[in-house]
Amino acid sequence: MKILSIIAGVLMGAALVYGSLDMPKWGDPHSPASTHVSPYYLQHSIEHTATPNVVTSVLADYRGYDTLGETTVVFTAGMACLFLLGKGRKRQGK
Amino acid sequence: MFEFIVNYYNYWMYIGLMMIGFYAMMAKRNLVKKIIGMNIFQSAIIFFYISTSVKKGGATVPILEYAHGHATHGIEHGANAIDVMQYANPLPHVLMLTAIVVMVATLGVALAVVILIYRRYGTLEEDEIMKLVRRG
Amino acid sequence: MILPFDLILVLFVYICAIAAITIKDLLSAVVILGAYSFFMCLLWAQMAAIDVAFTEASVSAGIGTVLMIGAVSKTKRRSND
Repeated sequence: MKILSIIAGVLMGAALVYGSLDMPKWGDPHSPASTHVSPYYLQHSIEHTATPNVVTSVLADYRGYDTLGETTVVFTAGMACLFLLGKGRKRQGK
Repeated sequence: MFEFIVNYYNYWMYIGLMMIGFYAMMAKRNLVKKIIGMNIFQSAIIFFYISTSVKKGGATVPILEYAHGHATHGIEHGANAIDVMQYANPLPHVLMLTAIVVMVATLGVALAVVILIYRRYGTLEEDEIMKLVRRG
Repeated sequence: MILPFDLILVLFVYICAIAAITIKDLLSAVVILGAYSFFMCLLWAQMAAIDVAFTEASVSAGIGTVLMIGAVSKTKRRSND
C-alpha cells in the first residue's frame, strides 16, 4: 500500500513537471496572465472605485457577489459543524 | 542551465509539496494525518496560483502609489498614468483569498466528521475502523 | 524577490511539511502545521501578495490550528504512523 502510493505520487509529480516545462517563465512580466486582463483592473481601479488597494477593490466591488457567495459557504460550514456536533439532538433524544 | 533552473524552480517547489500532501492523503492510516495532508495539498495549489502573479524587475505590492491628490499620478492624467509593470498581478491574489477561506471551511467540516467517527468507533486508525465496520 | 531568501524559506516549508506528516504525536504535528502555514505566509509576503499573507496568517495559521487542536483534544493524541 505504501509502495503503491509512493509510485502514484511520483507519477503525478512527473506528469506535472512535464507540464510545467510548457509554462511561461516564472516572473516574466510579459506572460499571458499579466498582460491580458489584469492591466484593465490596475488602470481603472481608481476611477471606478477610488480605492488604492487593487486587491480590495476587486474583492469587494468588482466581485462583490462572489464574496457574498463565499460568506454563504462559511455560514454553511459553520451550520454543518453545529448540527454535526451540537447538543440539540441529545435533548430531543431524551 | 542555471538560468533554466532559476526560471522554473518555483513550479517544481509546488509540485514537491503537492506530492508530499498526496502521499500523506493516500498512505497515512490516521484520519487527522490525512487532513494534514489535505491542508498541505491545498496550500501547494495556492502557492502555484500566487507564483503566477509575480512580475520580476521591480514589481511590488498591488497598492497604487499616490492614489489620492498627487499631481503626477492618478486620475488627472487618465488611465495611462499608472505603469502596470510596477505592480504585481492582483487577480490571482483575489481568487486565492477566497480559496483560503473555503480551505478553512472544509477543514472545519472534516474535523467535525472525524470527531463523530471517534465517538462512534473509539479510534482514529483507518484499518481498525474498517475492521469494526466489517464485523458489523 | 530575493533568490537566497526564497530558497531558505522554501527549505523551511519542506522541513515543516515532512515533519508534520511523520511525527507520531498528533498535537506536535498540528503545531508544526501551524508553523508551516506561517512560513508559507512569509513566502507569499515576499512574492508581493500581502493580502493573501494576512489572510493566511489569521485564518489558516490561526483559526485552522485552533480547530485542529480542539479536534485532537476531543479525540486521541497518539497515532500509529
